Amino acid sequence: MVDLRVELAGIKLSNPTVLASGILGDNAALLRRAAKTGFGAVTTKSFTIEPREGYATPIIAEVKAGLLNAVGLANPGYKEIKDILPKARVNGVPIIVSLAGSKIDEFVEMAIYAEDWGADIVELNLSCPHVSMMGMDIGHDPAFVANLVGELTGVIETPVFIKIGLTDNYMEVVSRALDKGAAGITAINTVKAMAINIYAKTPVLSHRYGGLSGPAIHPIATRVIYDIYREFKPPIIGIGGVEAWEDAVEFLLAGATAIGIGTAVSKHGLTISKVVSDGIRTYLEREGFESVRDIIGYVHRK
Amino acid sequence: MSYRVGRVKGVYAHTSLLKSLTIELEDDLNIIPGQFLMVWLPGYEEIPLSPSYADQNIVRLTVKGVGETTKRLISLDTGDRIYVRGPYGRGFDLDKPGKYLLAGGGYGAAPIIYSAYKLSKLGNQAVYVEGAKSIKEQLFIDEARKLGLEAILVTEDGSSGIKGLITDYIKQIIGEFDILLGCGPEPMLIKLLNMCIESGVDCQLSFERVVKCGIGICGSCVLGDRGLLVCYDGPVFNKERLMDLSFKEVV
Ligand SMILES: Cc1cc2nc3c(=O)[nH]c(=O)nc-3n(C[C@H](O)[C@H](O)[C@H](O)COP(=O)(O)OP(=O)(O)OC[C@H]3O[C@@H](n4cnc5c(N)ncnc54)[C@H](O)[C@@H]3O)c2cc1C
Ligand SMILES: Cc1cc2nc3c(=O)[nH]c(=O)nc-3n(C[C@H](O)[C@H](O)[C@H](O)COP(=O)(O)O)c2cc1C
Ligand code: FES
Repeated sequence: MVDLRVELAGIKLSNPTVLASGILGDNAALLRRAAKTGFGAVTTKSFTIEPREGYATPIIAEVKAGLLNAVGLANPGYKEIKDILPKARVNGVPIIVSLAGSKIDEFVEMAIYAEDWGADIVELNLSCPHVSMMGMDIGHDPAFVANLVGELTGVIETPVFIKIGLTDNYMEVVSRALDKGAAGITAINTVKAMAINIYAKTPVLSHRYGGLSGPAIHPIATRVIYDIYREFKPPIIGIGGVEAWEDAVEFLLAGATAIGIGTAVSKHGLTISKVVSDGIRTYLEREGFESVRDIIGYVHRK
Repeated sequence: MSYRVGRVKGVYAHTSLLKSLTIELEDDLNIIPGQFLMVWLPGYEEIPLSPSYADQNIVRLTVKGVGETTKRLISLDTGDRIYVRGPYGRGFDLDKPGKYLLAGGGYGAAPIIYSAYKLSKLGNQAVYVEGAKSIKEQLFIDEARKLGLEAILVTEDGSSGIKGLITDYIKQIIGEFDILLGCGPEPMLIKLLNMCIESGVDCQLSFERVVKCGIGICGSCVLGDRGLLVCYDGPVFNKERLMDLSFKEVV
């Protein structure tokens, strides 16, 4: 029997699959259902200081090789963490709490609260591509990220992950964050994009811009994971277009410790976690490995 | 799935706020009664609607003007464009043998009359019951009769048919049926569910929540504390699924 357990900065996962942030996850019942269905860990929707309605529909556009979304960080506000986390917890499945904000003070306040209510990991959304003054708008600035991570690791003991997107300087951002004590990296978020309906002759999303996810971004994510692992070897939650166990194995070989799944939940349902972890198990058996940990970053050994 | 472009072929005004739009699409769509389409009017929002009829490339939407997008929809004219994606979700299972009781309240009668079309094609026995505030808001009684079904109108003000609430009427007759299909306001659905539990009649009920993505990814349409998704696991849920929910928070 091969071993599927992995550890993210000391947090134990029964298998490497993780429900990605923003997928069904600002509701306790849905997080609980995801955890019960077989995810090794679940990530909440990104919380902000104030509740956010999100954008008007259309909030998604289905495109050829993936999905565009501009949900607009709809969430009930971070104070709801208190109600959501205890109800969401089941079978000891770790809960990663995602936070989004504009100012360091906001992140500090929310991170302390998340720690108090039992977050296993705090993930900083520094990469949402469709909300101004949050996500990508702050996450591309290495000095800001360094200050932010420095402040947070000074006040909470919970491991802090930063979630990055596709920027020209992600290696610098990652380097500065790890120097300041970030426990790991989540990569990648959606990529800023647009879809236009040619008959309506207008962008489909009410917000016009959205984030591209799904198969289209998988090779990009593989590259980012590969680069980060080669240089720094931190714990990485690899995310982007994972639809099948093969995609997950590719991320593991590139250096990911855990595998985030988002868009594929729509096509395959929450049981995708089970399908992917079963596939990884079979692959390991066939390829003669005893543990999933034996293939993390394997390509770099050659 | 990206949008299919449709054109309005005809508009039927049941009342000034309640209309049926017949849409012609460029190609065929296979829609199970109870499934829904995401309907987009550029410049307005995209909203879920369950067709009241569909055949090949023709879809009929029955819409009540309650807000900006639905009011815009009911003001469309013949020839206007409309954008749809789908169908999504789980519809009614009409293959079960037995005698069907069809219960539609308000615009909830839409997927119910579409089910009636399919059931009569399948040769299943069914009785159609529609609840409306008054005779003016009655939608599909004549249509159901044309299909050869027994059709009963229940009006709250007694302006036609039986006076009262649809649930009170159904309570009297439910024992004669094997399976109930229902769609309408939530208090009606919960009463129907409780009746079916008490009388041992099987049921499938269609629920509403705010549907934003329609594809089971955003979480906005969650129903109950087991994390059911209206757009993905529903909108039609069977009795076993519903009995599992605690409806305290829902009512
Ligand atoms: C599966 C499903 C099938 C439906 N089928 C029909 C139908 O056949 N005919 C019909 O007239 N209506 C139907 N509805 C309801 C219809 O989608 C809403 O009335 C519509 O979205 C309101 O939009 P609006 O912009 O006009 O009003 P708004 O001003 O946005 O809202 C008016 C009311 O509608 C509710 N609502 C708003 N947005 C949504 C949304 N995205 N999803 C669900 N409810 C919403 C609000 O809670 C509010 O009570 C259905 C809903 C669902 C979930
Ligand atoms: C509908 C939707 C909402 C999302 N919301 C968030 C969010 O709130 N915070 C975040 O960090 N990422 C969010 N993401 C990004 C995902 O977590 C993930 O990084 C991205 O979708 C790529 O993975 P995938 O291709 O498996 O979907 C969202 C993605 C989608 C599709
Ligand atoms: S509407 Fe998005 S999950 Fe159902």
